Amino acid sequence: MPKQLIRLVVNGEGHEVAVEPWWSLLHVVREVIGLTGSKEGCGTGDCGACSMIVNGRLVTSCIFLALEADGAQVTTIEGIGGDKGLHPIQQAFVEEGAVQCGYCIPGMIVAAYDLLRQNPRPTLEEIRYALAGNLCRCTGYTKIYQAVLRAAEMMGG
Amino acid sequence: MAEVGDVRKAFRHVGKPVPRVDAPAKVTGRTIYGDDLKLPRMLHVKLVHAPVAHARIKGIDASKALAVPGVEAVITAQDLPPHRYDPDNRTRVLLARDEVLFYGQPVAAVLARDPYTSAYARDLVEVQYEELPPVLDPLEALRPDAPLARGSVQALEEGEVGGHITVEGAEARKEEGPRNVASTITFKRGDVEQGFKEAAAVVEGTWRTPMAHQSYIEPHVIVADYDSTGRLSIWSSTQAPFHVRNEVAKTLGLPETRVRVISTEVGGGFGGKIYLYEALVGALAMTLQRPVKLTMSRKEDMLAATPAPNCIVQLKMGMKADGTLSALKARVIFDTGAFPGAPLLPGCLLIGGFYKCPNLEIEGLEVFTNKVSVGALRAPGAHNVAFALESALDMLARRLELDPMEVRLKNAVEKGDPLPSGQPYPAIGLKECLEAVAKSQLWQRRHEIRAHPNRGVGLAVGGWLGGLQPASATVTLNADGTVNALVGAADITGTNTAFAQIVAEVLNLPLEMVRVTTGDTDSAPYAGMSAGSKVTFTVGRAVKLAAEDAKEQILRIASQRLEAPPEELELVDGVVRVRGREDKQLTFRELGRWSTAFGGRYPPIVGRGAVAPRLQAPSFSAQAVEVEVDPNTGQVQVLSWVVAQDVGFAINPMAVEGQMQGGSTQGLGLALFEEMAYDEQGRLLNPNLLDYRLPTTADVPPIETIIVEVPSEDGPYGARIVGEPSIVPGPAAVANAVADAIGARVFQAPLTPEKILHALGKIKD
Amino acid sequence: MRPFSYFIPASLQEALAIFQREGEGGRPIAGGTDLVVQLKEGGHKFPYPRYLVSVRRLPELRRLEWVEGEGLRLGAAVTMAEIEASPIVRERYLALAEGARVVGSRQTANMATVGGNLCNAAPSADTAPPLLVLGAKARILGPRGERLLPLEEFFLGPGRTVLEHGEVLVEVLLPPPLPRSASAYRRHTPRQCMDIAVVGVAAFLALDEAGEKIAEARIALGAVAPTPIRAHRAEALLVGRPASPEVLGEAALMAREEASPISDVRGSAQFRRYLVGVMTEAVLEEALSRARGR
Ligand SMILES: Cc1cc2nc3c(=O)[nH]c(=O)nc-3n(C[C@H](O)[C@H](O)[C@H](O)COP(=O)(O)OP(=O)(O)OC[C@H]3O[C@@H](n4cnc5c(N)ncnc54)[C@H](O)[C@@H]3O)c2cc1C
Ligand code: FES
Ligand code: FES
Repeated sequence: MPKQLIRLVVNGEGHEVAVEPWWSLLHVVREVIGLTGSKEGCGTGDCGACSMIVNGRLVTSCIFLALEADGAQVTTIEGIGGDKGLHPIQQAFVEEGAVQCGYCIPGMIVAAYDLLRQNPRPTLEEIRYALAGNLCRCTGYTKIYQAVLRAAEMMGG
Repeated sequence: MAEVGDVRKAFRHVGKPVPRVDAPAKVTGRTIYGDDLKLPRMLHVKLVHAPVAHARIKGIDASKALAVPGVEAVITAQDLPPHRYDPDNRTRVLLARDEVLFYGQPVAAVLARDPYTSAYARDLVEVQYEELPPVLDPLEALRPDAPLARGSVQALEEGEVGGHITVEGAEARKEEGPRNVASTITFKRGDVEQGFKEAAAVVEGTWRTPMAHQSYIEPHVIVADYDSTGRLSIWSSTQAPFHVRNEVAKTLGLPETRVRVISTEVGGGFGGKIYLYEALVGALAMTLQRPVKLTMSRKEDMLAATPAPNCIVQLKMGMKADGTLSALKARVIFDTGAFPGAPLLPGCLLIGGFYKCPNLEIEGLEVFTNKVSVGALRAPGAHNVAFALESALDMLARRLELDPMEVRLKNAVEKGDPLPSGQPYPAIGLKECLEAVAKSQLWQRRHEIRAHPNRGVGLAVGGWLGGLQPASATVTLNADGTVNALVGAADITGTNTAFAQIVAEVLNLPLEMVRVTTGDTDSAPYAGMSAGSKVTFTVGRAVKLAAEDAKEQILRIASQRLEAPPEELELVDGVVRVRGREDKQLTFRELGRWSTAFGGRYPPIVGRGAVAPRLQAPSFSAQAVEVEVDPNTGQVQVLSWVVAQDVGFAINPMAVEGQMQGGSTQGLGLALFEEMAYDEQGRLLNPNLLDYRLPTTADVPPIETIIVEVPSEDGPYGARIVGEPSIVPGPAAVANAVADAIGARVFQAPLTPEKILHALGKIKD
Repeated sequence: MRPFSYFIPASLQEALAIFQREGEGGRPIAGGTDLVVQLKEGGHKFPYPRYLVSVRRLPELRRLEWVEGEGLRLGAAVTMAEIEASPIVRERYLALAEGARVVGSRQTANMATVGGNLCNAAPSADTAPPLLVLGAKARILGPRGERLLPLEEFFLGPGRTVLEHGEVLVEVLLPPPLPRSASAYRRHTPRQCMDIAVVGVAAFLALDEAGEKIAEARIALGAVAPTPIRAHRAEALLVGRPASPEVLGEAALMAREEASPISDVRGSAQFRRYLVGVMTEAVLEEALSRARGR
């Protein structure tokens, strides 16, 4: 079968991409569209480094087939903040020292962003439950909890 | 931080919490990691991993793989360019030649235009194996009638462990003799039998810790390019660019001038990203004359990187009625897998290195099995032995009805006390760490906590001696008055931020005026590997010297121009002025211009610093843990955790806390979850992050940190090593907490619910 | 992954027609959280598929509705997140909400479907024990028309169900809950979440009018047999007896006997058997206290 054409909007920008059925959304976003902020830590849905928001839902894009993103609105780390300054969550991660090697961080911030959209003032326990799909091997999480709590405050949740 | 609080006030930058300078790029996804690199005409390689633990290779048929459109080549050991093959050195067996020694060992490489194609074609390579009996259990392996895991080993060359720890007066011995022994080591002091006679209580037990994976979230990634001038460039997420360059050059028979290693941002290493497949990927790039990229999948990384060893500690310890240790006898067995490299030396040193003990006898054995060969994991070998030592100590304290804190304070090593090797400790802060934990809320509340059913508090300590390796750095003044520092050490823990603080401190600049870069091996001043927790301690000293050298050069010129002796000059925010004379000043910008522009009158300002430190700055950590155990299901939940660590001087307290919390959490993982599980054929059963369980946010409570600062004699501003010690106490602290909570002692990590139920007698074999 | 073709039909009819047209070697795919991982890493219990037919957006599989007098129609492609968030499920089928809630991470729950969970047929599937005790029936559509099966008959072994080539699980039907009844589900995992059940236990209890005796009881066990199973003998011990701790304890002991666990990387057989006992007791207690609260 020849590649199939999909259209998707990533961070507000439209793209038309010819994909193989077995390509993941992560592959398309990183390798074809060229947004390399999302990372692959496991490729099997276990670590959250590839987290994206697809049509309003947080997913692990490494096991999300690209064809299923046809017509979708996708938000990646690049869509949360960067070009025009940091998003408060990003700011809080920097200031709290919640970043070490950084490999988990894009996915972690996308997951935190999704959490704060749904629950603007989460408790520590809610944060700990909501981020359990995002592994970080460096920080031990404490500063990540602090950063999310602080971001919620900064965002006036 | 009481001890050096006043010292801290004297500084403008060092000692202050500073966000990492690379954090903004990381939170926006802008940082470029190895997997983000693309070179023109680049091929993607996937390795064929052996599905058997021990076998002879009878033949390899690549025809089906080669028929897949997009596949450019399938390379086996026979197709590699001539190189220095060494069957005893994992990194010099680029691909298995005749014999497969562990499950997952690479036997061939498939190169294709995209990674999906290479992965698909890889599965089509047909390898014929004649299976041999695998040797899997290290105790079985030692039996005289055991089959051999592999041929004998000639020599262990500059093992990686050497980069982590530096010890005088002890050398790992290699031995011919019992089966499957890679190396042995012994330490003796006093008379243990006499020591046991003097003891009021003796405990004895066998403690086991399984193979564990570093589980950096970024799997190994390497890109290599061999250009038309015959130069091999390697981008690698390595912690040790110069080590990689030297090893690749040696292995591939190239002069070091023709190998350039660019360390890409390391997405976590913890000792597991020193050097592994760089020579192979380099050789593939040379063979195909095209850039080649190896991005390992999680599964491949778990199968065929260098995890931490399985370890068995047989320990007997005696204590007098007053709580002083009288004898320690230990047999430490590390399962090194199919190639040498287990952390036998640090393990054997540290089991006798946390406490004073007049009589000790330590025997260490490094044993071959048909499992993946091992590497370092944050304080390699230390958590394995601490699990035994710290558990046994608690058992003795309980037996003699002594307080575990008191017992530790009583026996803790101090400056001048000898390691098992006889080498005396420099200034250290183990006691201070214990005292800090004793004052913590958690420890103070412990009686209250115990009043709850099934809750308990555990205490344990751990330390690391630290590595030593020469290091250098340069500091240069730019035309616009800003300052660059160049180092050769990969920044993993935020060291470049600490270096910026140091340079800004010496030159009294705002932090924004300083930029620290890790150069590649062609351009950067030499630095040892970013392992052994020593980067700030060694490279930091070089940076400080380089900044001081630059300062001197600046003062020399300024003194001429301002016609005032250097002693009367001061540096303030990029301005040099005569003290008390606002009118007599010049700026870094002017100096920069004069020393760089056409017709400039002064040579460029290049400060250099180079050090070869000889004195270690060991660091200790003490930790207390509160757990709740469900006596019905055996489930353990960690409720609180406090970590104290002596860091000498916290150049960046924010980064130091992050290290302490990260290390403690890894300790928690080793205590409760982490284990590479093998079946009877030596096949890894859990090569993924669902079944190899790292702690998640739901498992890890906020971790309280207490920074203890007992200045080191030799480190920059008194700083000592930081990264490694915090992983060490975890397994023992949790085991002690579980014993405190429910009275059951578990001798095997991780402390799974099943093992706890066993210890409670609720299930039996 | 090996190459395969992929179809995204717009309706169930079209999906069935694709299976007819393309022939053997096809498979439905919903959230892909099992299937994509298996195709990447191996571990699937069927031949590598030649083509996949996406069912995740088929309207017939997306229903989550309460039909008065009939009960709950739960479309196979409803996600775990949707189930957990559904007020009806929480109110009337709490065990199911508890099962859906623990599946993977938030990310997983947004993709994983209940149909995929059942059709993947892992003995540890977290929605299977709840659905078993809630009396679910599976509605299947295929080349030979429709089948309606009690869920007990759906599973054949690890990774194997009664589904034949070209058949699609459309929905599961749950009868309305009995008066004075309640359900509960718990599982054991080493980690607090993001883990696969070592043992899962669901229970459903209905009390008699006096609220003293057990009128109806169902117990289902996950990860202790080749398929999720009902513990019929344990159930039989409960029916008609007073809802006392001793009676619940007896049933728990019986459930232990009914389990036939194996040893694997997640736990040994004796550990699992032991857990069945303590967890069944706890889950029955939970269900009982909920039923009493009604
Ligand atoms: C990180 C992670 C964590 C997980 N944790 C859990 C957990 O805690 N508990 C748990 O139970 N599972 C867990 N799983 C497994 C998985 O998420 C669930 O089983 C999920 O419900 C599967 O649904 P799906 O829609 O993704 O199925 P898919 O992967 O799309 O399909 C699974 C199987 O069902 C078939 N299928 C799907 N829909 C239909 C249909 N309508 N008709 C016929 N056949 C169909 C497919 O052909 C395939 O064989 C986890 C998975 C991941 C990746
Ligand atoms: S890379 Fe997608 S979850 Fe790990
Ligand atoms: S910062 Fe390294 S994995 Fe999270």
